[in-house]
Amino acid sequence: MTNNLRVKSSKFIDETYKISFRFNNKTYYGYKGDTLASALLANGIHLVGRSFKYHRPRGIMTAGSEEPNAIVQLHKNTSRTEPNVRATEIEIYEGLEASSQNCWPSVNFDIGGINNFLSPVLPAGFYYKTFMWPASFWMKYEYFIRKSAGLGKSPTEPDPDMYEHKYIHCDVLVIGAGISGVIAAKTSAKNGFKTLLLDEKPYLGGSTIYQNSEYFKINNQISSSWLEKEINEIKKIDNLEIKTRTSVAAFHGYNFLLARESLTDHLPLHQRYEKIRHRLLKIRAKKVICATGSLERPLIFDNNDRPGILLSSAIEKYSNLFGVSCGQKNVLFTNNDSAYETAISLFQRGIGIEAIIDNREEVDSKLIKEIEKNNIKIYKGYTIVDTFGYRKINKISIMQLSKDGQKVVGSKISINCDCLGMSGGWTPAVHLFTQSGGKLKFRDDDQVFIPDKYPSNQISIGSCNGEFTLDEILTGISKKLKDFLNIKKTDYENLEIQSHFNKTKRNIWLLPSDKIIGKTKPFVDYQNDATAKDIKLALREGFRSIEHVKRYTTTGMGTDQGKLGNMHALGIISETAGSRMGELGTTTFRPPYTPLTFGTIVGRNVGEYFDVFRKTPIHDWHFENKAKFENVGQWKRAWFYPKENEGMHEAVQRESKAARDSAGILDASTLGKIDIQGTDASEFLNRVYTNAWSKLAIGKCRYGLMLNEDGMVYDDGVTTRLDENHYIMTTTTGGAATVLSKLEDYLQTEWPELDVYLTSVTDHYATISVCGPNSKKIISKVIPDIDLSDEKFPHMSFKKTKIDKVKCRVMRISFTGEQSYEINVQANYGKSVWEKCMQAGKEFNITPYGTETMHLLRAEKGFIIVGQDTDGTMTPIDLQMDWIVSKKKYDFIGKRSLYRSDTIREDRKQLIGLVTENPKEVLEEGAQIVADVSKSPVEMLGHVTSSYYSPNLKKSIALGVVKGGKNMMGQKLIIPMENKQINVTVTDPVFLDKENKRLNA
Amino acid sequence: MLNYSNPITEEKSYSGLQMREVKPIMKLILRGKKREFLSAVGKSLNLILPAEANTFTKSDKLTALWLSPDEWMIFSNEVSHIGNNDYQIENLLNKSICKTNLGAVTDVTDQFVLINLKGDKIYNLFETGSPFNFNDFRKKKASVTQTILAKIDVIIQNESQNDVNLFVRRSFSQHLFSWMNDSASRL
Repeated sequence: MTNNLRVKSSKFIDETYKISFRFNNKTYYGYKGDTLASALLANGIHLVGRSFKYHRPRGIMTAGSEEPNAIVQLHKNTSRTEPNVRATEIEIYEGLEASSQNCWPSVNFDIGGINNFLSPVLPAGFYYKTFMWPASFWMKYEYFIRKSAGLGKSPTEPDPDMYEHKYIHCDVLVIGAGISGVIAAKTSAKNGFKTLLLDEKPYLGGSTIYQNSEYFKINNQISSSWLEKEINEIKKIDNLEIKTRTSVAAFHGYNFLLARESLTDHLPLHQRYEKIRHRLLKIRAKKVICATGSLERPLIFDNNDRPGILLSSAIEKYSNLFGVSCGQKNVLFTNNDSAYETAISLFQRGIGIEAIIDNREEVDSKLIKEIEKNNIKIYKGYTIVDTFGYRKINKISIMQLSKDGQKVVGSKISINCDCLGMSGGWTPAVHLFTQSGGKLKFRDDDQVFIPDKYPSNQISIGSCNGEFTLDEILTGISKKLKDFLNIKKTDYENLEIQSHFNKTKRNIWLLPSDKIIGKTKPFVDYQNDATAKDIKLALREGFRSIEHVKRYTTTGMGTDQGKLGNMHALGIISETAGSRMGELGTTTFRPPYTPLTFGTIVGRNVGEYFDVFRKTPIHDWHFENKAKFENVGQWKRAWFYPKENEGMHEAVQRESKAARDSAGILDASTLGKIDIQGTDASEFLNRVYTNAWSKLAIGKCRYGLMLNEDGMVYDDGVTTRLDENHYIMTTTTGGAATVLSKLEDYLQTEWPELDVYLTSVTDHYATISVCGPNSKKIISKVIPDIDLSDEKFPHMSFKKTKIDKVKCRVMRISFTGEQSYEINVQANYGKSVWEKCMQAGKEFNITPYGTETMHLLRAEKGFIIVGQDTDGTMTPIDLQMDWIVSKKKYDFIGKRSLYRSDTIREDRKQLIGLVTENPKEVLEEGAQIVADVSKSPVEMLGHVTSSYYSPNLKKSIALGVVKGGKNMMGQKLIIPMENKQINVTVTDPVFLDKENKRLNA
Repeated sequence: MLNYSNPITEEKSYSGLQMREVKPIMKLILRGKKREFLSAVGKSLNLILPAEANTFTKSDKLTALWLSPDEWMIFSNEVSHIGNNDYQIENLLNKSICKTNLGAVTDVTDQFVLINLKGDKIYNLFETGSPFNFNDFRKKKASVTQTILAKIDVIIQNESQNDVNLFVRRSFSQHLFSWMNDSASRL
C-alpha cells in the first residue's frame, strides 16, 4: 500500500480496520470510513476516468454528491454491476471492484482521446448539424453514435438485491445534518414534534464536524467540538429519528418527499445476503426544514479540468476528515476567503502549499494574515491562465488581472504543483426548494440565488439560504426556528460566535486568458464537456433562453445535473448577452437530486407483486385441472382447459361443442354484482338503464344496457328482482368497480332524493354457470328440491334455495344461447358446489369451459361484449339493439344524447355479422373492412371486433362494425390483409338460433 | 355437506407479528339515513352504531365499524358454524330494517376476509405498503380506517394495542396475504 499521502490519523477513519479493494484490476488498500475517492487519493491516484465527449483525462474533483468526473463502474460484468457511481460517495468495503468508464483500452491510454485533438471541429451542436444529411443515412449514423454514447454499462443480469418502499409521516422533516440541521432537529424534537433528520453522508455534522480551526468558535469551543456535543445529545431524543446515508431525491408539492435510504452499499457483498439494499422513503411532513448546505463553485479558466484540480473545500475535507493529502505541492486559487481556511488546515497538517492565487487585489483578514505569517506566497489580483500535465497537473501559469478583471496584463509566471484547489465562492443548494415549487431571488452582492417564496410549510436555513459563515448561520437561526415552529424559546439564543471570515468576493464568471477564447478550453460542465466557448457559440447562434442554451450545449444535462457549473453557465450568458442574472432565471431542477437505481424506484413491485391479481373462489380447481389463465382486469380467469397436447384452438373447439351438445360449466364469479335496496330501487334502475324496470315481477331477470351521458354503451348485464325493493345487478367483469362508483356518484350528487342503497357483493358470491341441453338434468341432481320445469322456472327467472344447509340463488339466464342456470353461492362454498356440479354432470360429459369458449358461444348467438364489440362510440342503435331503448320513459342516463344529429346519422358504424367466402378462413380481430381497394386512398368502412371458427356452425363467423352496416345485409366486402384480400359477406349478427328455441328448450 | 374453502389456510408468525384469518365470521353491511334506522338497529342488536367517522363500537357479540355517513359493517365477535349461512341477526335486521323500509341489510360474510394481526410490528408492516398516517390511529381507541395496502383496498380496525383486524375483499386476500408475509419476513 502506497500510503504516503495518508498524512495524519483522523477520528473518522478506523486505521485498525484495513480494507482491500480493486480499481482497474489492481489491488489497493484503504481504511474503514474511506470513500473510494479518499482511498484512491491516499494511494496517489487522481486519474479515474475519461470525459464524455473529448475523452480527456479526469480526476477526483469534489468530495460529495456534486462530483462530475470521478464516476466509476462497480463490479463490472456481474449481476451487481452498477454504472455512474460517484467515487466520492461510495464507501469502500472488502472486495469492492471499481473500474473507470468511457475509456478503452485503459484509463491511462484511451483511444477515444483522439477526440480531444479533434475538438476544434467538434463544437456544441456538432451532432445536430452534421448528421442531418442525407436523411436516409441516419440509421447508419445512429448505430455508431449510440455505440459511442453513454458512460457506464447497464447490468444485463437480474438484480440480486432486494429493495423496499416505506411511508413515513412526521411533524417536521429536517433535510441535512450539518450544523443548521442538527440545531433545527434538536429544537423541533425537544418541543414535542415528531422529527425526522436525514443526511446523505454516513456521519452527522456536515462540514463543521471536521472544522478544527481556532478561528471558528462557538461559546469559546472549536466549532466541531461544540457540534459534536450537540450531536451526542440529539441521538438520545426519543421522538427524533435520524437516518444517515439517506439522500432526498425529490421534494414534491404539499411537503411530499422521496428519499433513498442506502442500507447495504457500504457492506462487503457476502454480508448483503437477504438484506434490503435501498429503501425508498415516501415522506409526508407537516413542516420541512431545508438545511441542504451549499456547493463550492469551481473557477472557469483554460484547462481547468486536469486530474489534480479539485475544489478547495474538497482538499480540506480529504485532509481533515480522511487524513489524506491530495498533493504535496498544493496551489490554491480563489476569489474569496474559503481557500485560506483550506490553506490553514493543510499547513497545520504539514502539507506543502506552494502558493495561493487570489483574484482579489486588496483584501485582508485574519485568515490571510495567518497565511502570510507562515511565509506562504499569495498572488493578489492574479488569475490562472493555463494548466499543464496530461494525466495529472504539474504546472500552472498565472498572470495579473486588469483592474476591471476583463483581461490579463503583465508577464506570465509559472508555478510547479501537483494539486490545485479552486474556490469560486458558494452556491446555495436550492435544488430541493425549487423542486417543491419555491421561487428564488438573486442576491447581487455575492451573485447567488436564494429562496424567496415558499410554496408550502417549509423554510431554508443555513448556507442553502445564503448564510455561508458561522456567524451568519447562527445569528438568525433561533428566531427563524421560533417563528417557524411557533415556539417561544430555543437553546441557541445567546451563542457567542467567533468567525474570522472576510466576506469580500471578486466574482468573474469566465476568467480572462492571454489566448483568444477559441484556443482555450475553460470547462463549465465537466461531465458533459461543455466549455465557455460552447455557451458563447450558442449565444452567437441565436439562443437566448437558458433552457435552450442548456439543450444546445448539454450544459447541466449530465448525471450531476450541472451542480457545479450551472451558475457559471448563467453568468457567462448574462455577461455575453448583457442581461441581468436575476432576470435570466435558472434552469429547472428536476428530481432526483442524485441518481436513483431502478431497484429503488420499483421496490418490491416485481415478480408476483408487480401487479395485484384477484382469484375466484374456484381458482384452485381450475389450477389443479391445468387451466390456462388470462388476465381480465385484475382477475385471473380460466381461459381454456387443454387436454393432453391440445392447443387453445383445439380446446376451444372441444369445449364449445360439448356446451352445445350436452353440458358445459363456467366460473362466472368475476362478474360484478351490486346489491340494490330501497323503496326507489325500481325508479333508480329506470334511470340508469335504457329499458323499463317498474313492471319487472319479483323473481324475474332482465337484461339491461347502461349508457354514458354521451349516449354510448357503458356497461351491460342482467338484473334480478329479488323482492319488492330489492334487486341484484350484474355488471361486466372489468366494469364492476367503475359502474358502482358511477351509480353511487349519481345517487349522492344527482338523485339524493332517491331512497336507494348500493352494496358490492361481487366477492361474496361464487357464480357457477351450467349450460347446454343437459343442464337442467344436472341442476336437478345438485338441487333436487326445486322445480326446474319451464312453467315454474322459465328462462329469465330466479329462485332462492339451499344446497345442503347453505343458502344460494339460482338464476336461469344465458350468455351462450343455451338453456343455462347460474348458481350464486357464498364464496367459501363455491368450490364445493362446482365440484358437486362436475360430479352430477359426469354422466353427461359436463365440460368446463373458459373465457375463450364463452366468447365463441356468445358470438354464435350474436351477444355483444362491452369493450370488445363496443369502444365507447357505440350507441344501442349502432348495435342494432333498438328494442332495448324505451321510448316511453321520461329519462335515463344518455337519453338526450341519443337524439343528437350525430347519433342519429344513418352512416354511423353499426354492428353486423360477417361470414367469409372460404368458411375455414378465420378473420383477424381488428382487421380493417373496406368495400373497394381500387380507389386510393382506400376508404376504411370499419373493423372486425370478434372472430372465431364455430365448430357448431362449421364455419368461420365474425362480428364487426361497419359504416351504415345495418343497411348492407348480403353485401360483399373485403378484408385487406398483408398478403391477401379476404372476401366476406355482411350478415345478421345472430348466427345461431335466432328464434331462441335452445334457450327455452 | 358442502365443503368450506376459506382463502387463507395458514397462520403465520414472525418476530413481533402474527397473522391469521378468522373464519367464519358473519359480516353485514347496514345502510340507512333515518333516525328511526339508527334506533331500530340499536334495539335489534343492543348496539349503538358509531356516529363518529372512522370509529367502531362493540357489544359482547358484535362489532360495528363506521364506513360512511350512512354505511356500517357489523361483524360477529365469535366464529359461526361452518355449513350454515342462515344468520339469526341478518333475519332479525331484515325484519326490522328492510321490511320497514328504513334501510338496507346485505350479507357480505364472504365479500371480506378478516385477517387478524397481533404483535408490536403491525405498523412496521403497514408502513411498507400503505400511505395512511397511522401515527394517531394507533394511539386512538376504537379507530377504523379505509385505506390501501399494497395497492389493495382494506379496512383496518384498531382492536386494541398490538391487535388489529384487517378486512380485505376475498378475491384479493391471497395476493395480499402473500405480500404481507413477504413484507413481514423483511421486518
